[in-house]
Order: sequence, then C-alpha cells, then structure tokens
Amino acid sequence: MKKRLLFILVAGLFSLAGCSRSDQPAEDSNGKTEIVTTTSFLTDLAETIGGEHVAVTGLMGPGVDPHYYQPSTSDIIAMGEAEVVIYNGLSLEARFTEIFEHLGERDVLTLKAADGIADSSVLHETEEGDAQAVDPHIWFSVSRWKQVAQYVAEELSSHDPEHAEHYQENAEAYIKELEELSAYIEERVAEVPESSRYLVTAHDAFQYFGEEFNFKVVGLQGLNTKTEAGTGDISQMADFIVDRDIRAVFVESSVSPRSIEALIEATASREHELQNAGALYSDALGSPEDNTDSYTAMFKANIDTIVDGLTKAE
Amino acid sequence: MSMITEITLIAVVVAVACALPGVFLVLRGVTMVSDAITHTVLLGIVLAFFITQDLNSPLLMIGATLVGVATVWLIETIQRSALVSTDAAIGIVFPLFFSIAIILITLYAGDVHLDEDAVLMGDLAFAPFRRVDVFGLDMGPQSLWVMSVILVMNALFIFFFYKELKITTFDPAFAAALGFTPMIIHYALMTLVSLTAVGAYDSVGSILIVGFMVGPALSGYLLTHSLKKMISITVLIAVVNSVSGVQLAFFFDTTIAGMIAVVTGFTTLLVLVFSPRKGLYKQQLNQKRARKLLDKRIKTLT
Repeated sequence: MKKRLLFILVAGLFSLAGCSRSDQPAEDSNGKTEIVTTTSFLTDLAETIGGEHVAVTGLMGPGVDPHYYQPSTSDIIAMGEAEVVIYNGLSLEARFTEIFEHLGERDVLTLKAADGIADSSVLHETEEGDAQAVDPHIWFSVSRWKQVAQYVAEELSSHDPEHAEHYQENAEAYIKELEELSAYIEERVAEVPESSRYLVTAHDAFQYFGEEFNFKVVGLQGLNTKTEAGTGDISQMADFIVDRDIRAVFVESSVSPRSIEALIEATASREHELQNAGALYSDALGSPEDNTDSYTAMFKANIDTIVDGLTKAE
Repeated sequence: MSMITEITLIAVVVAVACALPGVFLVLRGVTMVSDAITHTVLLGIVLAFFITQDLNSPLLMIGATLVGVATVWLIETIQRSALVSTDAAIGIVFPLFFSIAIILITLYAGDVHLDEDAVLMGDLAFAPFRRVDVFGLDMGPQSLWVMSVILVMNALFIFFFYKELKITTFDPAFAAALGFTPMIIHYALMTLVSLTAVGAYDSVGSILIVGFMVGPALSGYLLTHSLKKMISITVLIAVVNSVSGVQLAFFFDTTIAGMIAVVTGFTTLLVLVFSPRKGLYKQQLNQKRARKLLDKRIKTLT
C-alpha cells in the first residue's frame, strides 16, 4: 500500500514538474508579420518578398518530403500564432489542407500558392484513366513561380498596407531574378540536343519543368512518393530507356534512390549502360552548406546536374 | 486558453474516455480488439463514402462505428465456436475487413484521396485548430466536446451497470444463470469501445488509442485486485501519462502522440516490473524466498 502511494506521488510530481515549465512566452516579433509556410520553396519566397517586415517559420525544412512530414510542437505553436499562412495547395499538404482552411476561418490570412496561377495552367497526372490527379509541383515552372510571387506580394500588401511598397519592390526584384534564372536555364538546356532531352527520375516531380523548358519527363513512381514503383514499371521503363538510348538518370534529394538503382540494374541486364547522373532537388530546398538553400540556387544546381549529366553521357 | 493547455485537456479527456472501457477489455483478455477496431473502421468509412460521396459527412463516423461493432460481433462469433482462440479470431477478422476496404478503395476510389488519414485525420497536435463556433462565439476545440460526451457516456454506463459489468466480466456463466443477459451488456460495452475508438481516432490518431485503452488499465490490473480501485488507478495513470506526455513533447519539441505513447509504454513497464503485488521484481523475490525456504527444509531433513 505504501509503495503504491509512493508510486502515485512520484508520478504526480513528475507531471507537476512538467506543468511549471508550460506556457512558453510568445516570441516577441517586434511588430513583424508572423508568417507560416509549408514547403521550403515558399519559405524562401516569403522571406524574400517580406524582407525585414516579416518573421517566417517554415514547417518543412530542407530535405523533408512533404508527403511524410510530421508536425513538431514548435510547428504547432507557430501555426497557432501565425497571422499569415502560405501553402502550396493542389493536395501537396494532404491532411494539412483542412487545418489551413480552419485557420482561414479565424482571421488568419491563408494563401494558397496554387491560387496565384490560372486553373488552366495546372498540369495533371498523365496516366490513362486517372486524369483527376493534379500535379502539385508548380515550383518547377519559373513562369508560374513568378505569378505566385506576384500573388503573395499583392496579398501581403493588402494585409499590411503600411509596408505595401516594400513588398512590391521586393517582389519586382525577385521576379527580375527569376527572369535571369529562366534565361540561364534556357541557355543550359540549349546545350543538350533535342533528341536526348529525357529526364528520368524517381517520382513525377518535373512535369512543369519539362513543359516549360521542352524536356520529356518520365517518372517511375507517379506523383506521390508514397506509392512504390512496381517491378512491372521498372522493366517497362528499362525497355523505354534502351529503346530511346537514354544514358543518364537522376535521383532526388528527398526520395529514396532505391527504385532508380533498380532501374540501372534492369538496364544493365539489357546490356545498356545507364549512369546515375546525380541528385536533383525535388520536394525541398538543399542546405546552406551546399549553397542550395534558395529557390534560384536550387534550380541552378538542378539544371547544372541535368545538363552536365546528359551531355557528359553522350 | 493557451495551445498547450488545450492539447493537454484534450489528451486527458481522450485518455480517460479510452481507459474506462479499457479496464474491461483488459479484464476480459480482449485488449487487441481495440487494435482491430482502429483498422477495420476504414471499411465503414469507405462504405459510407460510397453512399454519401462526401468526405466530410458525419455518416462516415456512423459507418465507422457500425463496422467497429460488426468487427467485435464477428470476432465473438468465431471465438464462441470454440474452434479458435480470441487472438486468432482477431487475426481472421481484422485483415479481412481491412483488406476489403483497401480493395474497394483501389477499385472504385483511386482518384479520391481516401484513407483513414483523410477522414479520421487524427493528430493531437491539430486538435486545437478545429474549433466549434456557436453564434460567432468560440466554444473551444471540437474534439474536446466530442470526447467529453463520449467520456460521460462511458462513465455513466459503467456507473449504472457496474454490478452487471462486474458479474459478466468475472463470471459469465453465473451471470447467465442469474438471468442477466450478459450478451446485451457485453455488446453495449463493445459498441462503446467502438464509438470511443472512432471518436478518439478523429482527435488523437490511431497509435494512441491502443495505448490509451490497454496501458493504464493494465497498470491498474497489476496494482490491485479490487475492481473499484482498479478503475480509479487506471484513470489516474491515464491522466498522468497524457499530461506528462504532452509536457515532454513540448519540452523536446517533437510529435505529441508519439511522446504520450512512449510515456504510456514506459509507465506500464515500470508497473509490470515494480508492482508490489504481482510485479516481476516481487515474483523474483518470492521465488528466492521460496528457494531459501526449500534449502532450509532440505538441510533440516538431511
């Protein structure tokens, strides 16, 4: 009996000790607009446009696959304090979408990046019989990303008119930067002969890129990184690669390289030399150490990897 | 209310609501029924979705509860045949229902984002964001209300049918002889288990339900022989687990449901080893004592 009481007492104290630590003081934001963003691309965009007048908390850090993201408690606190939430939409954030909609009902400005572009410019998964699934990877189209930037700047300006000019200036500078990026990409893509412009990756993240820069994009897994590529997919793809004489494939920073490795083995058994030409950033930005932690730097790194991989393999 | 307070409150209410029927699951040795239910409810959601074509319809919750009850009923029927044990019966029913649901989804709903995540989204961390408004007034998180109602229902059921539950749990044959309809009490209990699981699924997610239903009740079972005491200890441990789990999650900045599950597992293990009545440590001690006694006897004999 005594021991039992002791146990209850200890357990009770344990939980009380926890209580005293609760309710961390809300961070003083110095009058900055508190913004919560989902993908690291949107974090970069919000920081660039908001500049010194915003405090941005990105939920999905570098290297995090949005399909697998789990919220931590600090993410929850940030979401609770946010004035503005910016998310990608098009089902990318799956179960978060509902939460953002709820936040939208309570004086939180919720911006969906997909609202910045015309519905008609949203691409769909190309597989037959499943035309419904939309492709959320809009950040791989620089022209669409420019529209998203403009949209976010406009919405931020009307939310915080005091700094509207500042946001517009930043957006203009950013859009100029994106135009330069676009020119750079076109320049590099031109190095690859049109007949060998094939981009083979693990999941279908690069459709928008392919459409904008005239690349044929083939993904093993489809849009969702949760579904694994079946053996049938792999052998079909291997035939396709041998048939078109494709020499280089790419892995992705936030997706397991397993299926791409299986593909290389499958083509090797068909006596075709296929090389893994390196990792592309697909669903998240890179780290500051690799100097790929901004949208433009990430895209440049990707296009260099793609073009170098394809031209070297020729 | 701050975010942490709200999350803690929800966690406590869900934990207690689950722990109450959990006591009887543990005593009847059918704890894994809760695990089966958390999976088979998907079938109910899918079937209800085919009828409503709306992922936000409340009918989906009702469908889930009904299939939960059907799960229990089928498990019972198979087990009653006396050909297989309870765990084997669970092993038959749970994969069957779950895979029918998966097949239906792949056949007919491939283009709809339909899985447990979509309907019974369930993450404790998000619970404070889904709120109830009455005439523009913020009435607090929706799951706090839903689970409070379920908690009260569970508590009232146990309070009013305490004697019946006690007799049917400990001596079903005697209960039947007395003219009780143990079946009715039993199915009422299992309906509550199913309803609690569906409600809790929606507010805290699936890992926690099994933990909440089994962990505290098992600790209570190991600490006392009296049913009344077992219920109060179970409730107390459920509260301690969820409060400290939430605190630790915020302290380490990690997932809340996961942390509560870890704390629950930890306290249950602790009780398992150190329970003064039937803990492993005590058993070892008793064995040693018995061996010494035996040695002594042998010595005196020789």
